[in-house]
Amino acid sequence: MAYGRYALDNTLPANLCDLTPMQTLYSNNKNTLSWLWLMILTIISSFIGLVINNKALLIGAVLFIVFLKGQQIIDTFMELAQAPKFWRRLLLGYVTVLPIIICLIYVL
Amino acid sequence: MNNSIVSETALEKHRLPGDLAMWFFILAELTVFAILFIGFAVAEQLNAEMFIEGKAKLHQIAGLMNTLTLITSSFFVALALNAMHTGDGKKSAKLLVVAKLVASIYIVVKLWEYLSLFEQDIDIETNTFFTLYFLITFFHLMHILLGMVILTFIAVKANKNEYNASNISGFESGASYWHMVDMLWIILFPLIYVI
Repeated sequence: MAYGRYALDNTLPANLCDLTPMQTLYSNNKNTLSWLWLMILTIISSFIGLVINNKALLIGAVLFIVFLKGQQIIDTFMELAQAPKFWRRLLLGYVTVLPIIICLIYVL
Repeated sequence: MNNSIVSETALEKHRLPGDLAMWFFILAELTVFAILFIGFAVAEQLNAEMFIEGKAKLHQIAGLMNTLTLITSSFFVALALNAMHTGDGKKSAKLLVVAKLVASIYIVVKLWEYLSLFEQDIDIETNTFFTLYFLITFFHLMHILLGMVILTFIAVKANKNEYNASNISGFESGASYWHMVDMLWIILFPLIYVI
């Protein structure tokens, strides 16, 4: 029992882990870069209206940023870049088609 | 022997993170929100002036803050999953707590936004814009609250080291749900606050 408690309180041995320390470091760096990119894109999309006066161009630019951000979340945070292509395409389709539909509603 | 190792690695590489059922649930949620977003855009085209006036009454910086907090929260959930992949449940649980603390900023800001609108005598019945604003953002807030409950459940299990390489699907499902909630806000924010 005491041994069991000890085992539960400690991290799993390496042979039970599915990522090596190098893979974890790479993945964490990738997540950090994605986070920075998402923060930058968010700030750009908030203030892009100050630079672009044309309504149609503004809508197009903002919705293109939505696609870029969605793609980052799907591929990096959701880890679908390595998932079966069907699921990745399905979710990428969502962040592609929905902004296009919204854009068309506003522009046409 | 080598072939089986190679094929196992290939299978692992092309594995869908989390449970298949969760992904169908995510698709259903995305569809519901897509209908709401399209409905909002159509209503805006039909009531252009009302929507311009309504958007002017919203606090854009609050919307921006909420976007940044949700992205940051999602980032910590991704780091927590990586920590769990290495078998470090304690670290993973701590990162999930940070993710929830960051997400709680979203809840505080959202409630403050609602209260400041109520003080201006604006509520769900004011006009079509605010009906849709409260409906969509409150529905999203409910998803945030559910996501936080899921993250709490995962954090407790991670802290007990109940996940391992062959049993991490529940963690991945919860994390994917949280990222979906983040992704929905990324579409919601420009649609309601920016455009």
